[in-house]
Amino acid sequence: MRTVQELKARAQAAIESRRGWLIDLSKTVLGSPETGFQEYKTSAIVSERLTELGIAHENGLALTGIKGYVHGGRPGPTVAVIGELDSVRAPGHPHADPDTDAAHACGHHAQLGMMLGTAVALSAPRIAESLSGNVALIAAPAEEFIDVEYRWRLRSERKLGLMAGKQEMIRLGVFDDVDMAMMVHTAGSLGDGRFVLGGTSNGHLVKYINFIGRAAHAGGAPYLGINALQAALVALNALNTQRETMRNEDAVRLHGILTKGGASTNAIPADVRYEGRVRGRTAEIVDDANKKMDRCLRAGALAMGATVKIVTIPGYLPMNNNGSLMGLFGDNAARLVGRSNVRRHPDTQNRGGSTDMGDLSHIMPVIHPYTVAATGSGHGSDYLVHDYEQAVIKPAMAMAMTVIDLLSGDAEMANRVIAGSPPAMTKDAYLRLQDSRLKEETYRGE
Amino acid sequence: MSTTQELKELACSEIDRRSEELVRIAKSILAHPEPGFREHKTSALVAQRFREMGVPYEDGIGITGLRGMLNGGAPGPTVAVMGELDSLKVLGHPHADPETSAAHACGHHCQIAMMLGVGAGLKAVDVLDELSGRVALIAVPAEEYIEIEYRDDLRRRGRLEFLGGKPEFIRAGKLDDVDVAMMTHTSTSSDGGVITFGGSNNGMVAKRIRFEGKAAHAGGAPHDGVNALNAAMIALSAIHAQRETYRDRDTVRIHPIITQGGVAVSSVPADVRMETFVRARTIEAFTSAARKVDRALRAGAMAVGGSVTITSLPGYLPIRSDEKMLGLYAENAAALVGRGSLARLGHRTGSTDMGDVSQLMPVIHPYVAAATGDAHGNDYVVGDYELGVVTGAKAMAMTVIDLLADGGTRAAEISDSYKAPMTKGQYLSMMRSLIREETYSE
Repeated sequence: MRTVQELKARAQAAIESRRGWLIDLSKTVLGSPETGFQEYKTSAIVSERLTELGIAHENGLALTGIKGYVHGGRPGPTVAVIGELDSVRAPGHPHADPDTDAAHACGHHAQLGMMLGTAVALSAPRIAESLSGNVALIAAPAEEFIDVEYRWRLRSERKLGLMAGKQEMIRLGVFDDVDMAMMVHTAGSLGDGRFVLGGTSNGHLVKYINFIGRAAHAGGAPYLGINALQAALVALNALNTQRETMRNEDAVRLHGILTKGGASTNAIPADVRYEGRVRGRTAEIVDDANKKMDRCLRAGALAMGATVKIVTIPGYLPMNNNGSLMGLFGDNAARLVGRSNVRRHPDTQNRGGSTDMGDLSHIMPVIHPYTVAATGSGHGSDYLVHDYEQAVIKPAMAMAMTVIDLLSGDAEMANRVIAGSPPAMTKDAYLRLQDSRLKEETYRGE
Repeated sequence: MSTTQELKELACSEIDRRSEELVRIAKSILAHPEPGFREHKTSALVAQRFREMGVPYEDGIGITGLRGMLNGGAPGPTVAVMGELDSLKVLGHPHADPETSAAHACGHHCQIAMMLGVGAGLKAVDVLDELSGRVALIAVPAEEYIEIEYRDDLRRRGRLEFLGGKPEFIRAGKLDDVDVAMMTHTSTSSDGGVITFGGSNNGMVAKRIRFEGKAAHAGGAPHDGVNALNAAMIALSAIHAQRETYRDRDTVRIHPIITQGGVAVSSVPADVRMETFVRARTIEAFTSAARKVDRALRAGAMAVGGSVTITSLPGYLPIRSDEKMLGLYAENAAALVGRGSLARLGHRTGSTDMGDVSQLMPVIHPYVAAATGDAHGNDYVVGDYELGVVTGAKAMAMTVIDLLADGGTRAAEISDSYKAPMTKGQYLSMMRSLIREETYSE
């Protein structure tokens, strides 16, 4: 029986030996960015690498997702290590696809390197056999909740149930045999430190809005038209006036994009589409802000005598980091970068954004720490991972070491985490909750 | 028996003889501007003049209006000559009342002098006796449709039913015995003639609007408030967003003001008030535009989760000038200022309650270009009182003589051949049908 320290040293060495291979993989993904539920090339790249490592895996989960296993020497709990496949869209990003504007402006390409690095470590000779339990290696699609119209179509075609990667994977049962999960996200500077743990994220609802007016010649007979773009502008102006009614501590965010603003400039716009987001600290706060958004959307339609179709799509739940897992991960991170370079944010510190790791955190213990390896603004055209050692190698080591802590011996640590962290809800309760948040409304202004 | 021409000369020389006094009356009113239904001093001044002239009169019509009556030598039709008592409110006008901002930035002070000038001219020796019929000298309140909240409160207390002076005269039956009516408005010379006439005006409805929200500390707890000012802003934006839906030929005008925008900057505004007109060339067009305005107002309330109370009030109807009467007037005006100084007007996008009168009887509403500046602006000043009072009075006096001379046949013919768009009964029920109050909240 090897000691935990020997196992960790062996895991680190395995990752070191694949350093170039892991960083190259991340940069390859950086070079072919694909948005959610369209990550076919990225998925193929990951699948190829898992095959190269001799790790059996399943493809095509939630369209593009992957799940492989490293089995321990004895039965025990299953720990998932997750990397996200998708990119955002960031026009002007130096690594953007010129055709689609897809760009890894959120560092997910590094996550796949980390996940595969963890796989390299745990599948190395004489490590897995010392563990009790399994490691599920998951490449998850579509963490960025974008391209709503596209995904709504996939849903209408019954190719999707829930419209984000981990949500859909939960629905499809990919996490049914998983007891706890971890992933590491890259970040730009978050103050001092190389690893930042803890904090929370906003919950959200996703809005898919269609203002419908009546087309007419914009020069010849504008009085025969009903201008759907004006309806949208009235609605968005109205939305802005609501901001003063939001409490600072609720971290409400109301934002969106016009995906269709009219068909031709000489016709009164009759079909205008808006994809929006309502974020807030808790589900109740999101619901309240969402009521205000709906009021404004209806007001835009009412003012112009237009119609608005409001689709409210279940978004993400606030993130809840597991304290025990965080403790283990923090200790391992400290061994790698020094204690002073590991920061822990209070549980209430809200980053304002949202992640479907929040959804997973409601049904099992998870952690979602950050590794400070990028510069620029997340989702901006200047967000660049510059430190691949910190972006890929160190987080892979920290996750592998944490898995070793959890599953070595008789997996006492993992079992202690499970026993000490009853989930906030069952999978069924989660799915019922999300189903109940889906709403479709058609309002005719007159 | 004098000829019509001789009668006109007698009347005009009497007006000339009294010209200084008439201009003094106009300037005295200019110096004491009073907005509609508050023209108590102006009304008293007219009453005093009627008494001095020996004109029997009735006062207190529509609160401050007066009607004097001159009887001709024989029975016949009744011609009304009107002047408007009220001023506007224009900040910074050189003749504005410093307390109230009331100012004669629309030249109504000249109208009263013109009306009295017509009376004086017709009372000249040997004129009135030669005419068949009567001349009603009418000083009418409140042509400017302003201070909607104040007037609507008068309405609610039963002092008024309509918010304009001439509709109130009609309602009170004070035009029932009038067959034709005329008045002359001042204008600026930019209209292209010294005396201009004809054309049409927009009609309109008025709205008194109250957005209600919920007050809260604007710094400490804005989340507890519902911002009525934001509701109004959204509504204003939405009103503007509809403008492209109006046809050019309908000449829609919508121009709200906010009369109360909040009470303390540190409190979320909970009671915000607006007034607006919705004007257009036709009744159908302003009715349709008003529906869109109502929609926008409701949208403002809906967006913030507040409420809006919309009081819709009848305004003025589009004017139509009687062509036959205009023909008579134009000849007289040409005799005074030369045919080359006359011009016909096209469509004007302001509104006047002379439009309401024009729905019931033949009217004319010509202009004398005696002013400079922008009407209703702080630079609108009457400079040419000879034209604005004396010539204006002469042209009307001469036209009255045309109408009532020769047994009053011309007035009778014009009145008989006039096809009124509506009866007084129809007019009143249409006006009443436009009064609506709606409170909307989600």
